[in-house]
Amino acid sequence: MSAFNEFKYILDESFRMLRRRKASNIISVIIMGFSLLVLLIFILVTLNISMVIDNAREEMRVYVYLENGLDQDVIERVRTGLYNFDSVRGVVFVPREEALERFRERLGEGSALVDDLETNPLPNSFEIRMKRAYSTGEEMGRIAGKIGDWDGVEDVRYGKDWVERGEKIVLGFYMTDFTLGIIVFLSIVFVISNTVRLSILSGRKSIEILKLVGATNRYIQVPFIFEGAFQGVISAVLAVILLWVSYKVGSRYLPGITFFRLDGIAGFVALCAVLGAAGSYIAIRKYLKR
Amino acid sequence: MPEEKRIIAGIYHLSKRLSRHFTLKDINFQVANGEFVFLVGPSGAGKSTLLRMMYMDDVPDSGQVIVGRFVSTRMKRSTICSLRRKIGIVFQDFRLLEDRTVFENVAVAMKVSGRGMSEIKREMTDILSRVGLYHKRYECPAALSGGEQQRVAIARAIANRPSILLADEPTGNLDPYVTKEIMELLFKINSGGTAVLLATHDVELVRSFGQRTIYLEDGRVVKDSGRVFEGDLLRSISDSQVERRAREFRDRRIGRGEKQDGTGNTNRPEGGG
Repeated sequence: MSAFNEFKYILDESFRMLRRRKASNIISVIIMGFSLLVLLIFILVTLNISMVIDNAREEMRVYVYLENGLDQDVIERVRTGLYNFDSVRGVVFVPREEALERFRERLGEGSALVDDLETNPLPNSFEIRMKRAYSTGEEMGRIAGKIGDWDGVEDVRYGKDWVERGEKIVLGFYMTDFTLGIIVFLSIVFVISNTVRLSILSGRKSIEILKLVGATNRYIQVPFIFEGAFQGVISAVLAVILLWVSYKVGSRYLPGITFFRLDGIAGFVALCAVLGAAGSYIAIRKYLKR
Repeated sequence: MPEEKRIIAGIYHLSKRLSRHFTLKDINFQVANGEFVFLVGPSGAGKSTLLRMMYMDDVPDSGQVIVGRFVSTRMKRSTICSLRRKIGIVFQDFRLLEDRTVFENVAVAMKVSGRGMSEIKREMTDILSRVGLYHKRYECPAALSGGEQQRVAIARAIANRPSILLADEPTGNLDPYVTKEIMELLFKINSGGTAVLLATHDVELVRSFGQRTIYLEDGRVVKDSGRVFEGDLLRSISDSQVERRAREFRDRRIGRGEKQDGTGNTNRPEGGG
């Protein structure tokens, strides 16, 4: 059979099957569409939260406080040392006078307290900006530990608790998405496998006839696999449309939330097609093996 | 010049246990090209099982079935498809695809054989005209009478120009008038060179046509009105194991005192009615 004839046959048979079992196909697509919607909502929330946390990480600094009265060459040595870390993106020296000025600004109305000080209690310091990929509690902790031992360094601080808490939140969301993803995807394989099994049962007379006239297993299987893949695609598209509508409504109340990128959506639809085909394949293979 | 007779299908020392109390025992018969053979026996005699083993839907417990170049003892799932594309099968219950037209029902057999739509359309006129259903090509089976449905099944069975057509009680659901029509159609197909092996319990039907008849009773062939020898078919199969078995089989027969001529054929009457 030429490739074109075979493709045409597969399309004909698949649409014939979808038409024949219209009601059950619609029901299973709706069930799967809503299950996928729940998963997509979770993934979208995770995406947005991790973006917020990523942006916050971008703003994270490691502060290196220097001892008072250091020579310029010691300060330069510390600066050079800081640049030697792969994870460091930029280093800014903050003289103690500027630090006091920043403190004054931060206090706002209470800045009069600063004016009462006779001497500047704040030390010179370096502000380290981390490279994005290294903005983790672990890496910050690692370099902070090392820098703390250097000559001329009084203390090293970073928002340890904040960073770790943020990381835990994101990890929690990822774990939830992962677990939910597995459950939803497995249930999709199961639902499609069952829908196709019903399709097989209703069409088993046709399958027997096809076998009697010499149809290969592939000839019989492929339309069913296509049917499963088609259900997967339609459910995924349904879920994405529903999510898009919810997103449009939601973004009125929560401006700034992000939607999935087009390539992400395409990947998701393709994944659902593969899962649908897999569910179908399991069902028809089981039947033909008997 | 008439075509030389050669075996195109055969059953050799076949045994099959069908239930606790019933076994097909040492069944032997062969069908030559262009032959019309009735396989007769009461209901439950194992006729359908024999046919099923000929299109390899079931396997013998011992012995073997050979159809064309296909040998039951070395069949794989993939080769079963190839066998079925080379034979035609007709059933009592027609087995048509209810949701497809006459045209599509016949076309499906041609499609699975890898034939393109233009070729199918070209040949369909001839095939459907031969069974007298060209004018009903766009009807679905539900709109046809029993006789017409059986004609569609026959059209499907001959669509790939098989060398043998296996018919399992093809007139079992039909009235005598339609039965006669279907039988005439099968004879017409047979006259075109396709061998027909028709299983039936209807002894009267068989008598009225006077063709070669194999009688099956209590799980054995009790009479074969025109037996042909299996040598030709076995020799044409290149498998050394099968050739050895064939030699052993021939030797046993010679040992039993049956004479053999120089071509490997025993001196038994040729089949063909």
